[in-house]
This record gives sequence, C-alpha cells and structure tokens, in this order.
Amino acid sequence: MQPSRREDLRLIQGQGRYAADWNLPGQLYAAVLRSPHAAARIRAIDTAAALAAPGVKAVLTCADVERAGYKSIAGGIATKDRSGQPMKKPFYPVLARDHVAHVGQAVAFVVADSTLAAQDAVELIAVDYEELTSVVTFADAVAPGAPRVHDEIEGNVAFVHEHGDAAATDAAFARARHVTKLTVDSQRLVCNPMEPRACLASYDAAAGRFTLHAPSQGLIGARSHIEQITGLSAKSVDLIVEDVGGSFGIRGTPYPEYFLAMLAAKELGRPVKWVGSRADTFLSDYHGRALSLTGEVALDEAGNFLAFRWSDTIDLGAYAGPFGAFIGTQNISITSHGVYKVPAVHVRSVLAYTNTTPISAYRGAGRPDIAYAIERLVDQAAHEHGFDPVALRQRNFIAPAQMPYKTATGPIYDSGDFPAVFAHALAAADHAGFSGRRAQSAARGRLRGIGFASYLEAAAAGVFNKDQTAARVGSDGVITIHCMAGGSGQGHETTFVGVFAATLGVPAATVQYRASDPAYDRLVGNGTGGSRTAAGQGSAFKALALALIEKATPLAAARLGTEAVTYAAGTFSGGGRSITLTELARALPPDADGNHPLDCNAETSSPATYPNGCHVAEVEIDPETGVAEVVRYTAVDDLGNVLQPVLVEGQVHGGVVQGVGQVFGEHAVYDRESGQFLTASFMDYPMPRAGWLKGSFTRESHPVPTATNLMGAKGVGESGCSGSLPALMNALMDAVRPAGVADLQMPVTPGVLWRTLNDAARKAA
Amino acid sequence: MTKISFTINGKQVSTDVEGRTLLVDLIRDELRLTGTHVGCDTSQCGCCTIELNGDMVKSCAMLAAQADGATITTIEGLAKGDVLHPVQQAFTECHGLQCGFCTPGMIMASVGILKANPNPSDDDIVKGLEGNLCRCTGYVNIIKSVKRAAELMKA
Amino acid sequence: MYAFEYLRAGSVAEAGALLAKNPEAKLLAGGQTFIPTLKARLAQPSHVIDIGRIAELRGITVSGATVTIGAMTRHAEVAASAEVRAAIPALAALALEIGDQQVRNRGTLGGSVANNDPAADYPSAVLGLNATVITSRREIAADDYFQGMFSTALEDGEIIKAIRFPCPKRAAYCKFHHPASGYAMAGAFVADTGAGVRVAITGAGASGVFRWKAAETALAKSFSAAALDGLAVDEGTCIADLHAGADYRAHLAGVMTRRAVQKITG
Repeated sequence: MQPSRREDLRLIQGQGRYAADWNLPGQLYAAVLRSPHAAARIRAIDTAAALAAPGVKAVLTCADVERAGYKSIAGGIATKDRSGQPMKKPFYPVLARDHVAHVGQAVAFVVADSTLAAQDAVELIAVDYEELTSVVTFADAVAPGAPRVHDEIEGNVAFVHEHGDAAATDAAFARARHVTKLTVDSQRLVCNPMEPRACLASYDAAAGRFTLHAPSQGLIGARSHIEQITGLSAKSVDLIVEDVGGSFGIRGTPYPEYFLAMLAAKELGRPVKWVGSRADTFLSDYHGRALSLTGEVALDEAGNFLAFRWSDTIDLGAYAGPFGAFIGTQNISITSHGVYKVPAVHVRSVLAYTNTTPISAYRGAGRPDIAYAIERLVDQAAHEHGFDPVALRQRNFIAPAQMPYKTATGPIYDSGDFPAVFAHALAAADHAGFSGRRAQSAARGRLRGIGFASYLEAAAAGVFNKDQTAARVGSDGVITIHCMAGGSGQGHETTFVGVFAATLGVPAATVQYRASDPAYDRLVGNGTGGSRTAAGQGSAFKALALALIEKATPLAAARLGTEAVTYAAGTFSGGGRSITLTELARALPPDADGNHPLDCNAETSSPATYPNGCHVAEVEIDPETGVAEVVRYTAVDDLGNVLQPVLVEGQVHGGVVQGVGQVFGEHAVYDRESGQFLTASFMDYPMPRAGWLKGSFTRESHPVPTATNLMGAKGVGESGCSGSLPALMNALMDAVRPAGVADLQMPVTPGVLWRTLNDAARKAA
Repeated sequence: MTKISFTINGKQVSTDVEGRTLLVDLIRDELRLTGTHVGCDTSQCGCCTIELNGDMVKSCAMLAAQADGATITTIEGLAKGDVLHPVQQAFTECHGLQCGFCTPGMIMASVGILKANPNPSDDDIVKGLEGNLCRCTGYVNIIKSVKRAAELMKA
Repeated sequence: MYAFEYLRAGSVAEAGALLAKNPEAKLLAGGQTFIPTLKARLAQPSHVIDIGRIAELRGITVSGATVTIGAMTRHAEVAASAEVRAAIPALAALALEIGDQQVRNRGTLGGSVANNDPAADYPSAVLGLNATVITSRREIAADDYFQGMFSTALEDGEIIKAIRFPCPKRAAYCKFHHPASGYAMAGAFVADTGAGVRVAITGAGASGVFRWKAAETALAKSFSAAALDGLAVDEGTCIADLHAGADYRAHLAGVMTRRAVQKITG
C-alpha cells in the first residue's frame, strides 16, 4: 500500500491535531456574544448577571480591550487614489465599541468553567442597542442619502481605484467597429472551511510568553497582526499550527477571538479555549467575492480586440478585512487582459462599506472573478457580433512567440502557449462531437450547452520578497526542514520533503518536515496563499538542498581525504572511497550550542507567475424543474512544472467544485430591509455535495515551465475557480440562449433557471 | 446527571453526564478521542459520524445519555492495530483527502455504504455521502476511494 | 442547549405519566430534528423523555392488507424491510429519500409524523395512503390528523404508538430535494388505493402536507400522467421563501405528481 501523502496516515486514523483538538490542564472555555443587529448604536452593556452566573470567570467587553491597549484590526491598501486620497478605513475593534456594523459582530467574550456555562451566560448579557437603518448591498450603500455604515465615512465609499490608461482606452472605443458591454456579479460567498475556527491560548507569566493554537495559513502574517493589534512583541507569542481544516484565503490573519483568549488567559492565569460553531463561521469568518464587474470590449471589423474597459463595484462588508481591499483593486487589475492581446485597458473600481461581514481573500480573491468576466464578455461579443467564439479567441490570443509579453497596463507574462492549451482542451473535450451530444440531449427533452474559458491568473507573488527555509540535522542523520507556510490540505509535507529529498537524491523517509515549530529558528517567508508554495517554498527547499550539499562537501572531503569529491544520490565519493550524507551527519559532532555543522539555511525570491489554462464544461438542463447537471468537464492547465501530479489534480478538482458551488447554489444573502443574514447555516446555504459534478472529469496538464523560479512551477490551488466559473456559466448560457434567454447571473439555482426559462418562453409567446 | 456506560473502540466506559451533553462532546472532550470532528450545528456535515451498534450515526445529533449500553466505534478504532481498514487504505491510495477534517466522517460513512452494498455504483456512493460535506476534494477522489475500498474488501 | 433533565421511559404508560407530571417536558424519539432544535436553543424543555427504546413502539407487522409500523421504527429499517418493500414498495422508497444514511439510522416514523414539519417526507405517505395514526389514546384517520404546519390532532400527553398503512394497489413517491437542506421542497405521494386515488403533497404547502383533490379526481377517471395536463396546484396555498417562490413550488408539486404517476405506469 502506497499512501499518497506523508500526512495521510495520521489524518485517516483520527490522529490529526486541529485547533480544537488541543487541551491544557486547567483550561477555561469561552463563548462570544454577537450582534443580532446589522446596524445599531450601543448605549450600554450590562454584564452583571452574566458575571454572577455559575462558573463564569470573566466577561470581556470593549472596555477591557481598550484597557489592554488593543488597536484596530488591520486591513486595507496603502496606495492613494488618483485624487491623492488614501483609503478610508473605520476603526475595526476587536469587540464592538460604540456601534455594531453587521450581524454577528463580536460584542462580548465570556469565559467560564465549561462551554455550556459560557454559552448560558452569553444570554445574560444585556446590551442596550439603538437600532439603526442598515445597507447590505453596494448599490444601497452608495445611493444618495444612504445611511452611513460608520459615522465618519460619508457616502460609505472607501476608495476609488484606477488602473491602466483611460484616455487610450476611450480612444480605442471611439474608433471601434463593435462594442459589447456586460455586467456580471460574483456574489458574496461564505468560504466555509470544514473546520470551524477555534483557539487555545495560554500565558506563561514567568517567561512573559503566550502560546496560541489556532488555524492559520500564514505564520508570519498571523504573528505580525498579533503584534500590530495587541502591541505584544511577535517574539513573545508561540503560534502552534499543526493540522488546519481548510483555509482558502480567509485564515491568513488572526481573528478577534484569538486576541480575546490571549487577554483572558493572561488576566485569569489559566489557559482559555474557544471553539467556534458553524454559525460562528457563517457570521464572523471573512466572506468572499461580493463584487460586480461591468466590462466593455471594443473590437475592430475583423474581431481584433482594441480595448477592455472595466467598471467594478466591490462590497467590502462592514470593515476593511485583511485582504478585502486588495481583491477589487490589485488582484482584478493584474490579470484584466486575460490571455489576450489588448492594446488598451482601463479598470476603475469603487469599494464601499456595507452592513455585512467583512470580506477577505477567498480562493482566487478577484482573479476568478475577472477571469469569469472576461470570458463571459468574449462569448457575449462573439454572440452579439456574429463571431465564432472559438475563432474569436484564437484571433486574439497572445502568441507564444510574443513571450515575455508586456501587457498594456504593465504586468509581464513570462511564458505560456495559450493557443496550444486551447487546442489541447477542445480536443480533450471532444468539442467536435458536441453537436451530436446536444442532439441526444434534445431527444430526451434536455437543453445542453458547452462553454469554454481560457483563464489566466497571477500567482506566487508573496507579501514578503523572500522565502527562507532551514535544515536541522540530527545526530541520527535525520534532517528536519522548516519554513513559514502553514498547510491546510495542500500536502506541504509531501511536496516540500519531495523537493528537498529529490534534490539531495536521498529517500524521503530520511527527511522530516515541520511548519511553525517555535523551538526552531523564526524564519522569514510567506504564508500559504496565492497558489504560491510550490513556486515559493518549493524553490527555497531546492535551494536549501543545494546549500546543504555545498556545506557538506568540504566536510566530506576532509573525511575522505581528498579534495576531488563528487556528490550523487546521497553519497560523497572521492579518492576511491565514499561516505553517505547520513554517515557524515552521524559522524560530525554538534557544536557547543548544540548546532549540527550541517545545519543550514537558504532563501529564494520568486516573482509572480501566470498559471493559465482552458476549461470546457458541458451542462444539461431539465427545463421542467430547472435542474442543471454538469455532464462533462475538461480542464487543461498550464501550471508550469508539476511537482506532485496526484496532489495537483486534487487541487484542480477542489477548485473546480468550489466553482460549481458558486455557479449553482452558494450565496450569502442578506435581507435588504432588516440586514439579517438569511443563509447563515448549511440548512439554507447550499454547499456542493457529492454528485454536484457527476459527469466525466478529464484533467490534463500542458506545462510551459516558467524560468522565474527554481522549480519552474506556476502554481495551482486557485486555478480551478478561475477556469470553472466562466466555463460553467458559458455552458449554461449556451444551453439557454436558443430558448431566448439573454443573461444569467450566479447562482443559477434550479428555481432561478426555471423562472428564467419561463420568462423567456412567455416573452416569445 | 445520568449515569451511563458503553463500549467504545473495545473499551468499557462508565461516566456521569448532564442531560444536555452531546455524544460527540463526551467523545471529544471527556474521552479525548478527537478524531471525531464537529463541522456544523445543524447535522448537515457528517464530520462527527461514528458507528453505533453497527449503524453509522451523527454523534452531534445524539445525547450522550442515548448511547447508554451501546457499542461504539470511532475513527480511532477502525484500524486493527497497524493494519488499516480497507476504506482508510483506499482514501490515502486515491488521494481522497486534503485537509483531512471531513475525513474521519467520510471514512465512517463510506464504511456504512459498503456494509449495506459491497458493490456500489457511483450513484449509490453519491447517495451514501449525501450526509457528508467536504470543501477540499470536490468529492472526485472520495468517490474513487469508495470504489477502491470495495475492490480491496473483495480481495 | 439549555439545561434539562434526561429521563428514559420504559413503556408508553411510563412516558405518559412522566409527561403528565412535567408539563414542560418533551418527548425524544430519534432526535434528528429535535436535537438540532435544542442545540439552536429554539426549545427549552424542563425534561427530555427518551422513548426511543420502548419495545412496544418498535417493529413492522404485515397483516392482511395493512402494514403497521411502530412509531420508534427507524427510517433505515423501513427502507430495508423486505415486508414493506413487498407490501408497499413506495413507502420503503420514501424512507430511503429521507435525510441521509446517518439520519435514517436514527430518525423515526413517529418523530417525523408527530412534528408535522411541512418539509418532512412521511406525512405525505400517511396522508396519501389514508393511514391510521394509532396513539396511546385512540386511532386517528390521516385526514383528521394533519392540522397545519407543525400542528396535528395530538393532544397534550398523547403519544403516537404506531401507524397502520393500508396496502394500495399501486403507489409512488417523487421528491424534489432542497438544494441546501435536502428536505422536500416538493414531494408527491400518489396512491391508487383500490377505493380511489389519493395524492398528497409535502414540502410545498403553507399549511403542511395536503391532498391535491383535483389531481385525485382526474387520476381516478384516467390513471395516467396525461390526465394531469392543465391541472396546477394553487400557488396561493404554497410556501414562498428565499429558495423557491410559491409559483415554483406549486409547479414542482405538479411535476413531482406527474413523475410519480409515470413511475407507477412505467
């Protein structure tokens, strides 16, 4: 039996250690009081009854947080808009201060002997709210006279971001033969990793150190946020993250409960554990997407793209979440050309606050949204102006000979063969046989459609400009390697050890991987995110192996008694003798500080990469019920060099099905009047289940390796969302266009599809 | 408080529980068998699936007191010593897990599927997994894993 | 969950006595709806009386032209029962459509029918088959039993012991699953009882399960899907919510009815 991954054996036997699985002697338990209102002023909070309840040890409110000197939760972007204004950011308190701005905002934190006692006491806290009018959509938030989400931000607009050349774009539109305009929404989603958030904080008063167990995908990011918000030195916090039950972008930075548990642990002198529920996840994990993109394409007579113009609106939620403002600005701009030669591009984004949960990065964080908008727009243009959608794409692809290609607005695509990937995908999907399959479906009373989408992402660029790795060699010869990227299902142990061991030419069993072990060096490096770890940390582990060989070679030479030493497959040879790396490691004594002479560090810097691909979806619709099924799916991706094919395929499956979820069901819906969150549980929020992608799934790789990092990897993780949203929606449009449907917006639930088809039929009659 | 006793993973347990104690909380918090996970509050996700008297059940939708006298197997009790259960083996062979949080429940549900039907079709597997959510795998390799486990169990 | 005292009843009589003694007590059957309700703090009983182990409430008996199923019989047992599959295959098929395998291993017929959840499956079979609800006090005809959303003819302290289903000539159940919860957004139980046709719709009605009398009349004249052409469930009687408008639910009820008829006629 061959396990696919090193991490599997513990996880399939229930031996994983997720945040809620940790316990400490004497621990107390916490529960959070959340706002029931979308918008309200807090007149007073009376905690007396809660404090008097059995087993209750503390009730923290904003007063305690202020006493501790906690600052605003950090978020936003540093750039200024064209008028020189920085982004307007409200103070984002760890516990609500004078007002609440969304349903679910944390108001108080109860610590008690048991979870049940804490939950009982939460209900005894009396908050005197003065309810206010709320706004839960972008349009309502920016309407004249709209209620303010925060008193200090008039008009609720946080920022207007522009990218590209407006004048050149306008000029191109002025001379265009054809113009197509289309608005697509990428609806607000709840990211819903399967592990609800949890934490366990303890404080060692003698050492002045905290230990925090919490799910995180980025260790430095998490620690620097802790430092920024609590004022504690990041060095005084040991963050322990072993297994994480999914992150998808929203768990790169810490959440209020973690700071509160730390504060309570210090004040009470006992560890404090908080285990969130799914309701907590829905209400208070950062949400994703929540934007609307209006695109225009200008074409000449022959169908050459002359310009793209984007006008985007972004609903930030009630506060600036850690990556919330990046999504609708940098992240949608960088790939706003897609895979096409577009001489002029302009992007204008307006970001506004609403009385909803703040957004942050969710699998792709803007790139799937813009990829979706581009490919819907291209299909729409083909349809409106009589171009064949295949030929229109082929005419406009950036040619491989043009690489590296500098886009009109700046980003440089280093590599890629978009026409070949497209041709590969159409062949793999049997595009030629589609009309026959459509006829077969029609004979069964079903509407069938095909959609393709050539997407391009920007990946691998990190917050820090380098990724450091370290190798620590044991006296038994076992090498333990480290980095700062927290894993949450990607299979880092397998991939990183694989790269390192393969570069050394030693069996993977002689190498161990640890992330975030506070007993070792604090390295610098990016967290997991932006599909970057294969390129970023992968390269740094390759460099680490090379550094180890370099460091070991003279020591081996000394042992072998010759200068002419060669290294291959874990063995140094020279002068007719040889010594293995393991033997060398065992033979060398540690120094006075316990460091092994072979211990070494490495670092690499990996710039942005441009994963791309073409996904082809076929859907079949039962017009009687409005049920649509994905009956065939083909993904051909250029992810650069693929390090672990099985794991990469798993990432594509997962990304595609998250796209299936967004296309067919998921939607965080708020009531426009009350501001209540209407789909805040799995009873009302449709999660993709087994069978949502029922048909055949073909995945093929079409690698065009990048030269910008040591691995030649472009990255995977988010590409599945970027490919699936447009492919599936274009397939749905293709299925319903003949029935007279002009537009569809996500999520296309059975009810929506039934109504849309009905309305079209009524109009036609 | 109610006095209850039951057998879990072959061990006899006797304890006093409050009426409102959920079985999953007893298993996780008192018995410290943390392989059984809690992923939701509405009995939708299946992360807490255990075998109780031969049936797969959601331990978050049972009071601990209801388990009095029961025989329970959790994910920790599925392997026989060092020998993995064929479903566990199939999940790793087919890369049927990523973050692993839903995995104990998925594995237990899959054991239930194969117990009822040793030769499940794709549709049978999809139906058998309707009570379990996964956010990572898109279910593609989970379905593959259940089919592989069926083969392993026949061999 | 609020605190409560857990009590286990050994007999129906004991359960009745405990209910009489504790007016704020609630019965616990399989708990698949009740326990999530407790967890959400939507109920605050003083006592929870577990009737799940009462032997006299369990089991399946086929006698002549009826199938009698004990109230604490689990959905999985009904779905797998060779007797039920032989006598009323549509009932076994319906049981297999409830919840998921884990829920079917705990949830019970009595719990489902006592709650009269408008999205539950079993009420449509009880009404569609013209079954009799046998309680600790009396027998109640299905037509008298369901009295609106979450409302039944059960009196305080009255406990469902079993349900007696007459075997129909032919019957079928078709269900449209809610995309998130899996509950019935519309479900149709169609039965040709021999004495007539009954069509019970669950999931759609704002007053819970109901008989679609116009469809019954049409099918009684001609038992075919075509007989339903031109008929529609009154959308004015249907639930409208975020997931489905009343018109869509009414439409789905019609489609599920037609598909159930087609399942029967082949």
